[in-house]
Amino acid sequence: MKTIEDRIKTVPPTKLIPLIIFAILMIIVPVFASGYILFVAVLALLYASLAASYDLLFGYTGQLSFCHGAFYGIGAYTAAILTVRFGFTFWEALIPTCLLVGVLATIIGYPALRLRGAYFAVTTFFLAHFIYLILLNEVELTGGPLGFRGINPPEPIGFISFDSLSTYYYLVVVFFIIVVLFLYTLVNSNLGLILISIREDEVLAESMGINTAVYKLLAFVIGAVIAGLAGAFFAHFFRLLHPTTFSWLLSEMVVIITLVGGAGTLIGPIFGAGIVTFLLEFLRFAPELRYVGWAAALIVILIFEPKGLIGLLERVRAQIKKKG
Amino acid sequence: MLLKVRDLTKSFGKLVAVNKLNFDVNEGEIIAIIGPNGAGKTTTFNLITGHLKPDTGSIEFQGKNIAGLKPYKVCRAGVARTFQIVRFFPNLTVFEHVLLGAISRAGLRAKREELTEEVDNILEFLNMEDKRNVLAKNLTIPDKKRVELASALALKPKLLLLDELMAGLNPAEVDECVNLLKKINKDLGITMIVVEHVMRAVMKLCERIIVLHYGNKLAEGTPEEIAKNKKVIEAYLGEGVEYA
Repeated sequence: MKTIEDRIKTVPPTKLIPLIIFAILMIIVPVFASGYILFVAVLALLYASLAASYDLLFGYTGQLSFCHGAFYGIGAYTAAILTVRFGFTFWEALIPTCLLVGVLATIIGYPALRLRGAYFAVTTFFLAHFIYLILLNEVELTGGPLGFRGINPPEPIGFISFDSLSTYYYLVVVFFIIVVLFLYTLVNSNLGLILISIREDEVLAESMGINTAVYKLLAFVIGAVIAGLAGAFFAHFFRLLHPTTFSWLLSEMVVIITLVGGAGTLIGPIFGAGIVTFLLEFLRFAPELRYVGWAAALIVILIFEPKGLIGLLERVRAQIKKKG
Repeated sequence: MLLKVRDLTKSFGKLVAVNKLNFDVNEGEIIAIIGPNGAGKTTTFNLITGHLKPDTGSIEFQGKNIAGLKPYKVCRAGVARTFQIVRFFPNLTVFEHVLLGAISRAGLRAKREELTEEVDNILEFLNMEDKRNVLAKNLTIPDKKRVELASALALKPKLLLLDELMAGLNPAEVDECVNLLKKINKDLGITMIVVEHVMRAVMKLCERIIVLHYGNKLAEGTPEEIAKNKKVIEAYLGEGVEYA
């Protein structure tokens, strides 16, 4: 792990070039990619936002939660219900969606975060399932197992309309960039160091005057709100919501993506999301088996490189440096 | 009076770890709490800093009762501590480690540049500039303790509780540490309570010593008085008190 100062120092020369290449790639994807690839790319970007926001809670604050996907689901359904049933525009619906997810996350997080370690993890696991059951069974509100239909694409801004795949792709790219910049600024701020200190040693942080309960809740709520927003974008992209999309499996996937990419690095979970999403799509011919294969891959990665892909990358880089 | 402890009691089941303890700490003092293993020294620290809740009794700090407050509130009131088994943030650099203390004291909105200067001053004060960018987990035990101390200083406490800071140091390092603590006491005006087994250090450092034995206060007095006290020598039976 690099120090904050190192990070700031090394950003201009070494990190900006790959970032620029990455940004250009993202911009020109719609030019050469097929509709299918573009479709998967949108999903990958949404998962990346989801995983990056989860990294704030897990990678930086050290709280292993299994309900991040549930907030994605709550965000998706809230935004969809607001636009379809209550006549909100997509843009108007974003703020109440944030508020609702934020309030729910506070209500859930406040008691749950009093538990530590595995107890907290198990509690969030059942919370995720509880929310899935609500989405499944509150038929009047959510459409239940038949799904929630009739969602329209976001209303145009000026002359930009979002009913084509490529414009929606760009919209999600903008959302993704805002999320990443926000999180990057946050983890490198004073607040970021406080969150990291809780991950490193909660007892010491507390005895150094840090109100750990409040900061853990803050990380939980910020992560949840970003997940909820990503859900709102998903709802108006996919335009059909089904409870199974937001089952516990999604929350599990977020954890896996973060671990595989490299928790506590922000960039790791983003790459993890890209790789996992595309891999899962390519393995569609074996819908059930792919999760088994994926689990095996996860175990292998965690045994040989617990720091995930970013850890692997750093190790390779160190090797090259040694030889050169 | 900076700290006023009255009738402080804490039991774990049938074991009374601290029994109706009374003592005062004046501003600017360095006092030591000594006693054989299991005497209740660390428990007393944990009661003061809020890591344990007292059964009965009061702890007044600057006229305010802090007994039973959460650790972070006790810290904000102006009491910092180090731990018997050294605690540190493994993956933070020495700089970041101390910076956290500064942030905790100055608040989230504090400017990084100002805090950086402050942290560097503390590192210079403790002769740690060369370790500035080393991860805490890669330090030696004495250096880890130093980082813990540096982080506590960044909190600008009024009262500092040091739990066996000198355990494991060689005699030369002990002397160096004693001088450092005296300097902190004088230059920064920080009052200290130390729990220490290294008698050599206690005798040189402290103006007053409190001896605990099975949770009870056995004796209190200047180092000379304590060294001559028969009850104290008996309590240490066999171990004997090293005369400085």
